Amino acid sequence: MTPQDRERIGEYVLGLLEGSDAQDFEARLGSEPELAAAVAKLRAQLQTLDDTAGELPVDPALWQRIAERLDAPEDEQAQPARLRPANDNRWTRRLGMAASILAALAVGYLTGTNLTTSRQPVMIAVLLTENGSEPGAIVEAFADDTIRLVPLDLTARPADRVYQVWTLPDPETGPVSIGIFDDPATLSLSGPDLPPPEPGQLYEITLEPSGGSPTGRPTGPILVKGFAKSPL
Amino acid sequence: MLHTMKPHTAPEDLIPQIAKGERAALAQLFEAESGRLLAVAQRILRRRDLAEEAIQEVFLSVWRNAGNYDRSKGTARGWLTVMARNRALNMLRDGARMDYKDGETLAELGDRSADVRAAFDALSARDALRHCLEALDASKREAVLLCYVTGLNHGEAAATMKVPLGTIKSWVRRGVVALQECLA
Repeated sequence: MTPQDRERIGEYVLGLLEGSDAQDFEARLGSEPELAAAVAKLRAQLQTLDDTAGELPVDPALWQRIAERLDAPEDEQAQPARLRPANDNRWTRRLGMAASILAALAVGYLTGTNLTTSRQPVMIAVLLTENGSEPGAIVEAFADDTIRLVPLDLTARPADRVYQVWTLPDPETGPVSIGIFDDPATLSLSGPDLPPPEPGQLYEITLEPSGGSPTGRPTGPILVKGFAKSPL
Repeated sequence: MLHTMKPHTAPEDLIPQIAKGERAALAQLFEAESGRLLAVAQRILRRRDLAEEAIQEVFLSVWRNAGNYDRSKGTARGWLTVMARNRALNMLRDGARMDYKDGETLAELGDRSADVRAAFDALSARDALRHCLEALDASKREAVLLCYVTGLNHGEAAATMKVPLGTIKSWVRRGVVALQECLA
């Protein structure tokens, strides 16, 4: 745990990380149990401060309003991305699932790859859909900043949107665009000059306006994302 | 074994029932926890209507996501507190405060230091957190507490303490690191 990690943990628990900083940190929490444990610990230690707020009398109408909405259809219940429980373990589960999908695919898929190309990927990431935990795409990252992308199941894009592929080489830099595409077929993309891809590095695909994100950071919904693993 | 609903079932035991779709369990959790969560949210949001909206979203989220709660990772109380805090902070950051009249906003910002002092004074003398907060410089302590207790961001804390933004950022960073070291 570096001093920078301690700063990040504190800022996160204080609610001071926003936007891509918060997303990047939350992505790390999914893959670094030690960091997640430190966040949970600090939160538990600060609980007595929350307790100093005491209790307020609650209007019974508040429960009525909640009870009326319990049967609302799912789409009306879409929750904001950051309203996540402290000990949310979905990421851990998805990582586990990604690992097993990767294992299942490894034999046939990589064997096939070896027959058709002599290049060996440095890292492979199975990108999972946001809600279904279904494999949505596979990224093979090569040492020369190129990736080979195999879409498996990507949400259809509206006519004025393109798919944009991102990676997070390090939380300080933030997400970096590897490229955009509009036809979900197996393709190669050549990204900017980046450090060699690392295990645990995040890859994701978002929907962005034609021509790619205007801000240079992901702005649209995340369709699929996953963390890199090195092939055995 | 026959299960009879007791008036004071622990939240940790209610949540699995909620995950199975038992409304009575959610109602019981609301009965036990809503007053506390409402107070946490209102200290951040100031307005009762906004705090109630936050709590409404929290309990709807509990209803849908009770299955995600993992008691090995922390108490149900803590799980609920974080949800209430996050919801209130999101509302604050998304501009709920913009609806306040200017005069109200200023008055409220002025009040925040008093809220923070009250929170600190209310900590038990035996609380390790109190001891570790006392060990911080007064300015770092106030910066950390303004952000945590009243939900201010760096800019708002800087305005409240009348210091430059960079100073607040550095106070908060050094404050939270020292706090974690002291609490370790």
